[in-house]
Amino acid sequence: MTDRGVLSSFDWRRGRVRGAARLAHTVLLVLLFLAGLGPVLWLAKSAITPTQDTLRDPLALWPNGFDFANLATAWTRVKIDEYFLNTVWIAAGAWLVQLLVATTAGFALSVLRPRYRKALTGVVLATLFVPAVVLLVPLYLTVVDLSMINTFWAVWLPAGANAFNILLVQRFFDNLPREVFEAARVDGAGPFRLFWSIVLPLSRPILGVVSVFAVIAAWKDFLWPMLVLPDPAVQPLSVRLPALQRFIELDVFLAALAISTVIPVALFLAFQRLFLNGGALSGAVKG
Amino acid sequence: MKSIAVLAVATAVLAACSGGGAQSADGKTVVNVSLDPGLEQGAIDAFNARVAQFESANPSIDLVPREYKWDATTFTTQLAGGTLPDVFTVPFTDGRGLIERKQIADISGQVAGLPYAGKFNKEIAKAGSADDGKMWAVPIAAHGQALHYNRTLFTQAGLDPDKPPTSWEEIRSAAKQISEKTGQAGFAMMTSGNTGGWIATTLAYAFGGRTEKLEGDTAKSTVDSPEMVKALQAVKAMRWDDNSMGANFLYEWGTINQDFAAGRIGMYVSGGGNYGSLKAQNAMKPEDYGVAALPLTGGANAGVLGGGTLAAVSAKAEEPVKAAAVKWIDFYYLEKLTNKDAAVADAKTTADSGQAVGSPELPVFDKAAFDERMTWIAQYVNVPVKQMTPYTDKMFGQPLVPEPTRSTQQVYALLDPVVQSVLTDRGADIGSLLNGVRTQAQALLDKK
Amino acid sequence: MRGGGPATVVFLLPMLVVFGLFSWAPIVQSVVMSFQETNLVTAPTFAGLENFRTVLADPLLWTAVRNTLWFAVLALLLGYPIPLVAAVLMSEVRRFKGLYSTLAYLPVVIPPVVAVLLWKFFYDASPSGVFNTLLGAVGIGPVPWLQDASTAMVSLVIEATWAAAGGTVIIYLAALTSVPPEQYEAAEIDGASVWGKVWHVTIPRLRGVLLITFILQIVGTAQVFLEPFLFTGGGPANSTTTVLLLIYNYAFANSLGGDYGSATALSLMLAVVLGVLSAIYFRLTRSWSAS
Repeated sequence: MTDRGVLSSFDWRRGRVRGAARLAHTVLLVLLFLAGLGPVLWLAKSAITPTQDTLRDPLALWPNGFDFANLATAWTRVKIDEYFLNTVWIAAGAWLVQLLVATTAGFALSVLRPRYRKALTGVVLATLFVPAVVLLVPLYLTVVDLSMINTFWAVWLPAGANAFNILLVQRFFDNLPREVFEAARVDGAGPFRLFWSIVLPLSRPILGVVSVFAVIAAWKDFLWPMLVLPDPAVQPLSVRLPALQRFIELDVFLAALAISTVIPVALFLAFQRLFLNGGALSGAVKG
Repeated sequence: MKSIAVLAVATAVLAACSGGGAQSADGKTVVNVSLDPGLEQGAIDAFNARVAQFESANPSIDLVPREYKWDATTFTTQLAGGTLPDVFTVPFTDGRGLIERKQIADISGQVAGLPYAGKFNKEIAKAGSADDGKMWAVPIAAHGQALHYNRTLFTQAGLDPDKPPTSWEEIRSAAKQISEKTGQAGFAMMTSGNTGGWIATTLAYAFGGRTEKLEGDTAKSTVDSPEMVKALQAVKAMRWDDNSMGANFLYEWGTINQDFAAGRIGMYVSGGGNYGSLKAQNAMKPEDYGVAALPLTGGANAGVLGGGTLAAVSAKAEEPVKAAAVKWIDFYYLEKLTNKDAAVADAKTTADSGQAVGSPELPVFDKAAFDERMTWIAQYVNVPVKQMTPYTDKMFGQPLVPEPTRSTQQVYALLDPVVQSVLTDRGADIGSLLNGVRTQAQALLDKK
Repeated sequence: MRGGGPATVVFLLPMLVVFGLFSWAPIVQSVVMSFQETNLVTAPTFAGLENFRTVLADPLLWTAVRNTLWFAVLALLLGYPIPLVAAVLMSEVRRFKGLYSTLAYLPVVIPPVVAVLLWKFFYDASPSGVFNTLLGAVGIGPVPWLQDASTAMVSLVIEATWAAAGGTVIIYLAALTSVPPEQYEAAEIDGASVWGKVWHVTIPRLRGVLLITFILQIVGTAQVFLEPFLFTGGGPANSTTTVLLLIYNYAFANSLGGDYGSATALSLMLAVVLGVLSAIYFRLTRSWSAS
């Protein structure tokens, strides 16, 4: 059977249905253009428009010419490059910590299977039922106690305490063929060899999923980094931009926003499939 | 195991660098000092020049500038997280609370050694002193509230920028004229992050009211005084009868400055010395700027709300850091008020980098010292002095009333939504809203 | 390989350390703190149910609960049907299918903080604001958007829906491919119209996903923070103060030291509500994936 949806090839041949479908699709496309691309294009336009023009007539196209200096000012005075780098560091570290915790724990619980496996899994999974909000204050005080304020560790390490990752990885490991492990053991492989040379290479797909989730979450986070990284020198873009808003002229601020948008949008356009599949996967996984 | 090791190392490293100042490798005392965020390059240069001057005079001290500005909604995280710079500033309103809770360092010993220690204005010194009179936090600036206005918008609206309003009726009619003729907000008001309460209290004072009444050890909240009601009714009339307050009713200190500098606001009420910030952070055009005395109405009780800034030292600072911190407070914040050479050096550095010298301020010491300093720096004054005379001619004649003393910021926070209601809800019942706030405010005052 | 030998312990260590320090201990601590009076300066003292009483007596609590529910209802009204309709339509597209999903997903890629700050400008309530200029062209407005208690929350939800809809669309699209064509054919043999097919075949097949996105959305909206914090700070007149914003304000907004007891007490109460919802969610996903 070829791939089809609600409408059959017969439906497509009926004039009224076809007309309605075409119309609906055109309307949808226009709306998607407006909603999806509109704000991005407006931001791109305003990034190179002088403040007063943007304020007086936000929809006019350069009534008084361009102002490309905004971009340079945003880059140098606002130091977007620094904050972007911080964002990358935060995401990379959070990703690494999550991967380390999830794979080692998944391996121990699912492949090595200690006797207390059930109890331990239960304690880990129970944290899934505790919303992040509850942890806000005590976690903040913990980070204060450990003197991690203003260091990336304050973001990285708490990110590792993610039961969802462990659940995912553990389920995946559970489905790996146990004969492979036995064979490796007969060949004299210890648990570390087994982990590094056999289990990890087999689990690329699930590591990809965990990675996508980890990076996206780290990159979107706002409240937590705002609390634990009060020093602007270590703040990611998400925390820095709202603070800068009050001090920067509107055109330069919009240029800063545009620059902060370009990079993720470019990444998205380059790796569309990964994003869209990842997005779809999140539904499949959550479901 | 690896992660434990990493954790241990990380913790050790962090513990070393996050604390409140320490010895650097070459034996210097490291002190973190505050630098306003979002400054124009010239202002940063001026600050760095002062740092360099200090370091060459004190070779054993290493200053590390850190971006910091007191903000009601983030200060407590910084305080609890121990991330405040060693030297930081707080408004008068928080001084006594911090001292009572011992959340700042006791530097009274070092402060007592300063040559001008006994000369602070008595009222102002109180803001930074414990009950026993010891000064834990040093007053570095004082201001009275004033009416800032945009001269260009005044001209465009057909008003005389040299004759700003001198009564609330004139403010109202000027606001109406500005918004009708220019389309910009005639009069705007801060409402968020405790600033709504701050400005509402300012207006209540100007109308002759007070928001608390001290009787011995107890305090009674009077936020719903008839004067406060009258003040808010005046605002309400501008908003709903005249529609002259623009379209943004969620301003706070930073955003209202920004819109004012961008020419979107005709008049607003804020601290009299605001010009420096407008210039350094929002690139205010000097020719646009005007400031006038806040009109007082309602008899002898009416007064200008006065506030100010204290310099304090982190509670975590150790003895050498405390000593160095007080030296910096003396050098950067106070010497320029009391010593001719320092005043000239500071004014010259600031002016050379294109930043404002000569914004209106009130004396931290006595009027004589203040006047003397003005003569020292006269040649460097670069602010539009003439445009400030509607304020400076009157500011010493107006009665200055300190901000409320108990749970000040918390009561301000309670007033924010009232001000927002007045500006966004045509049917807002000012009396009953204030009545609700009074109950809550009284609970706060009783707790203490 | 079975057992709890030293190697097992080594492998478990990262998890034990990270969860111990940053999950289990804080959870226990939050329960303890909710019964204490703590301000980080003086030693904590046992306060019994005082924190809970303080929170329950705070008139703002009920405002915040109402606002959060209102956000959830609006988010469901807007955020629930729009992606579904878009996904069903998009699954029928024959040419440029990729373009549709790329456009739909684009807002999801824009960093959320950037999106909020940008929309804050769009929402400028003066007649020359971006949205008001657009609406003014067709004779509507000016709308006060964030500057009025009656429209502020709706404005927040519109932005939040815009930001999140693309992700939901992609999830639905994936689920739609799982509808077996035979079922449509069977319906066609029974003489079903296009609408009949959507209603009797497509929607029932999506039931599981729909239920899950529904509950995830409720759990998500109960923890809304970014939008009210950055757009309005909870205003005007507390009309957008959500429960999480209230928790934040208890703990962090008072410049003279936070009320950590009240903050944790309210967190715990919220957690109980969300825990029940999550439990239902897990029951459902389990029965759904089992079927």
